[in-house]
Amino acid sequence: MTQVTIAKAEAPAAAPRRAVRRLDHRTRSRITAWMLGGITLLFLLYQWLPILTLGLLSFSGPTGGTTFPMNGVSLHWYRELWDASIMNDFKPPLARSFLLALACSATTVVLAVMAAQAVRGRFRGNGLFFYLLLLGIMAPGILVGFGFALLMRLMGIELSWDTTAFVTHVTWTLPFGFLTMLAVFNRFDARLEEAALTLGASRLTTFRRVTLPIVLPGVMGAGLFGFSLSYDEYPRSLFTTGADLTLPLAVMAQLDRQLTPELYAIGTTTTAFSFIAIGIFTFAFWVLRRRVQARKP
Amino acid sequence: MPEGPLLTQLDLELRGIRKRYGSFTAVDGVSLEVGKGQFVCLLGPSGCGKTTTLRCIAGLEEPDDGDILIGGREVTGDPPWKRDIAMMFQDFALFPHMSVAKQIGFGLEMQGRPRAEIEARVREVLASFEILPLADRRPASLSGGQKQRVALARAMVTEPRILLLDEPIGALDYSLRETVMLELKLLQQRSGISFIWVTHDQNEAFSLGDLVVVMNHARIEQQGPPEEILARPRTPFVAGFVQGNNVFRGKAGAIEAGLLRIVTEVGEFLVPAGAHTAAPGALVSFSVRAERIIDQPDAAVRNRVTGRCTAVEFFGAVRRHVLELADGSLLKYDQFGALAPRFVTGQVVDLGWRAEDAVLHAP
Repeated sequence: MTQVTIAKAEAPAAAPRRAVRRLDHRTRSRITAWMLGGITLLFLLYQWLPILTLGLLSFSGPTGGTTFPMNGVSLHWYRELWDASIMNDFKPPLARSFLLALACSATTVVLAVMAAQAVRGRFRGNGLFFYLLLLGIMAPGILVGFGFALLMRLMGIELSWDTTAFVTHVTWTLPFGFLTMLAVFNRFDARLEEAALTLGASRLTTFRRVTLPIVLPGVMGAGLFGFSLSYDEYPRSLFTTGADLTLPLAVMAQLDRQLTPELYAIGTTTTAFSFIAIGIFTFAFWVLRRRVQARKP
Repeated sequence: MPEGPLLTQLDLELRGIRKRYGSFTAVDGVSLEVGKGQFVCLLGPSGCGKTTTLRCIAGLEEPDDGDILIGGREVTGDPPWKRDIAMMFQDFALFPHMSVAKQIGFGLEMQGRPRAEIEARVREVLASFEILPLADRRPASLSGGQKQRVALARAMVTEPRILLLDEPIGALDYSLRETVMLELKLLQQRSGISFIWVTHDQNEAFSLGDLVVVMNHARIEQQGPPEEILARPRTPFVAGFVQGNNVFRGKAGAIEAGLLRIVTEVGEFLVPAGAHTAAPGALVSFSVRAERIIDQPDAAVRNRVTGRCTAVEFFGAVRRHVLELADGSLLKYDQFGALAPRFVTGQVVDLGWRAEDAVLHAP
């Protein structure tokens, strides 16, 4: 016992001498943490300040302009938005974009799960299939849209938000959902499926009762990608939407005509909408996670 | 329990199973017969094809060639859910999103049994596996031993004809294994379900199996009761793989009075020739078990070697002396009972064995 105490007492005596010459690792890692934290904060400000600026200006008074300084604070532009003709212009595009985003979300989920399952099972040319699908992320949107519109015109198919624009959007949202599902299946233990098969479950039952419940959080993620990427898509919509505009197209058109804080109010409203959608998804995700996770004994 | 003709029926029959992955042959012509309620251990080093064989029986892999019969019925090509089997996986493969009770009822549910019957049967099984208090828990909150019980209960609840076990206790703590092994053996005997148990651990195979099947390089090297495999290894691989054998290689000489003379680097030995027909000069091998080695042999013992003791190991019931022979090869000599070591390291000693204790291997 005595020997141990002596050894302990001697050890710290040697340490301070070294600390004089160089900063010890604890201090250094604290400085690094502050620096990285600072950079992260700057980045987040850079990301969110523009949106906050728009949001702030949308609350300016009736005589307010589209730049600082704000002339008073009011809900004038939101009231204007609700009553005035401009909102009547925007209501249909809003409804279209919302429906389109929902449809994209559902389609992305189904196709992404199927594509990821196929690649997981390995088939001839599955590497090529992987890269071809990812091309949807790489290809410049405006060209994809333009090329698609040209092709449709050649084939005599009329452009519309719920047909041609929908298909173009899915080529954009699907790769994201696909990558999400691949990542999820990468961590999935295929032996769980084999266990179900040997317990008498058919392949379909195995998918329904074992695979799907376990990968459900990933499925929700794929759905969220499908929704949010389609909801504010501009370049792929530009040439493929036809006469009835989606929300981003309508906003852009309005920007060209006149610029009032009303537009900021629209921007703020749609952002709020996106957040609500994300919030609903996140909540559902959280509920499912809790259902899958172990209950505390 | 059904009596009569069923008793003579085989639970499982494999006829020339072959499975290739590209240019790699995983299983090469495996044939096996498993009688009613037998405990069979597939034993071999990793990559020998034992797990692939098991997966072929389960229907998780489709053999390229050969037939599989379960309970006399041809099932080759049938999906897993149409075979009268259940499988237990090494890390148990419990469904993370189901409670223990739900998980055990899964197989019954798949059979379309009524809800009330499922509940009653699950409770019965939970009680018999002594895991009733775990009924509502999820797998993530269970210990290794508890998971093992749940996995076993889940597999046995439907009373399949065959239970396939892929290294079922490999994931357990070493101290738990002995108890679990005994429990499983008793359970198998009571249930009458045939167990096909894949392992690379010969202790498991020899203490559990009614039939031990030793595999190497995609083929069956030898199959038989554990005593037979221990006492009469058929090939040099089996002799080398099974602990406690001393393997010698040499050239065949003449046969005198049923004994084959074999010339090796460390001397000439006499080995029962059996059905040996190879020409003189052919390369042959034989083995002698470490416990058959005699210390200070008398004149009647005709097979003799001289060795220098290099190590003494202690295995509880056995003390093993490792001796280096003239050509540098090692000879094992086992002494039973927790006695003091017979030799000390460095000591040079004369050892021998009776000719009838040596086993000649198939060419």
